[in-house]
Amino acid sequence: MPKVDATHLLPLTVPVFHILLALAGDERHGYGIMQDVARQTNDALQLGPGTLYGCLKRMLAAGLVEESDERPDVELDDERRRYYRMTDLGRSVVRAEARRLAGAVTAAKARLGLAGGK
Amino acid sequence: MEDSVFVRRLCRAYAAMLYAYPRDFRLRYGVEMRQFFHDRCRELVRAQAPSSAWVHFGMRNLADWIVSTVRERRAARKPPGMRKLVQEWAVTLLLFLFVTTTLVQAYVVPTGSMENNILVGDHMLVDKVGFENGGNNWSSYVLPRRDVKRGDIIAFRYPEDIRQTFVKRVIGVPGDRIHLANKQVIRNGQALEEPYARHGSPDIDDDRDNFPTAAAPAAIALHVRDGEVVVPPDMLFVLGDNRDNSLDSRYWGFVPSSYVVGKPLVIYWSYDAPTSDYVNWNFAHLEDVALHFFTKTRWSRTLMAP
Repeated sequence: MPKVDATHLLPLTVPVFHILLALAGDERHGYGIMQDVARQTNDALQLGPGTLYGCLKRMLAAGLVEESDERPDVELDDERRRYYRMTDLGRSVVRAEARRLAGAVTAAKARLGLAGGK
Repeated sequence: MEDSVFVRRLCRAYAAMLYAYPRDFRLRYGVEMRQFFHDRCRELVRAQAPSSAWVHFGMRNLADWIVSTVRERRAARKPPGMRKLVQEWAVTLLLFLFVTTTLVQAYVVPTGSMENNILVGDHMLVDKVGFENGGNNWSSYVLPRRDVKRGDIIAFRYPEDIRQTFVKRVIGVPGDRIHLANKQVIRNGQALEEPYARHGSPDIDDDRDNFPTAAAPAAIALHVRDGEVVVPPDMLFVLGDNRDNSLDSRYWGFVPSSYVVGKPLVIYWSYDAPTSDYVNWNFAHLEDVALHFFTKTRWSRTLMAP
């Protein structure tokens, strides 16, 4: 992976961070992203269509994600859907953000005397 | 799985709500957003969700819709874009050119010959399409127009120098017999009552106040019958309202009706400055306007019809 300086894009907003995480494995269509984000967050974050596609628009413009092809999702129905996948830039950005958050969590644990783990 | 009527209606309502988004955004993501909404509905149906879950779903979507339309609209507005800017201004410019070349003409009154009805420094728009012979014949099919009448104030090209525009009052139309006796205008044998006319001096100046005399210009002299001027076809006889101080038909003859520019429509700005500033434009005048705009503008005349 090429080394890209992504610090100027940090911190990410909560929806953008989770959308990138959702695309870390496979490429997904919009509804699939929403479902995965809900799984990641135990239903705490349920993206509405306006928020999701607004974020995707900005992420496409920033080069964090790119459009894949349009094809049917066999699990849902035979409607054609547009798929999105993460770019290399997106991957380094979400990693940098995860590191930043991990640092913040470590600091919080030390200051607040929280037990390690959950 | 076939959708219920309820789901179909919800989806249709959502499709309508998409029109609140900016056009570009809607065209790019509208299909996907409808699919997304449809999927969510079907998931709720499949889970046999209670009605409270549907209410929750509706509220969530409404909130999402409000927040994201506001955000997308703001994002769409922020960069105006060169292309858009040029497009908008091009329309404005074309409209401006059309209006200023065809419909109206801006005109500044340089002299006091029409006082006290029109003052030096009155900046006015002249309606170019209101009269027959106003110059643009095509507009007669679209806009109402009429012949020039006696008593009309008109703007016209000065026949001795068509680069100049004059504003005077029409006293005689073709066929009218006119003469002046001691400042009194007599038209077709009747003394005119002229509340608009002003006489600056009590003295009688023969060539000016008794008309026509032997000193009348040649153009007039040709049309004198029994001591009266008979206005020839397609000509107009005009006088200034400031009768004793007006260079008008008495001095240079008739106005060909094809020289009529139009009818003064509205005074958009009236500024108190001497004739010399309006005849020869100079920087001192610009400075004067900059310094005294508020005090020397005649506000009561602004937007007045002359």
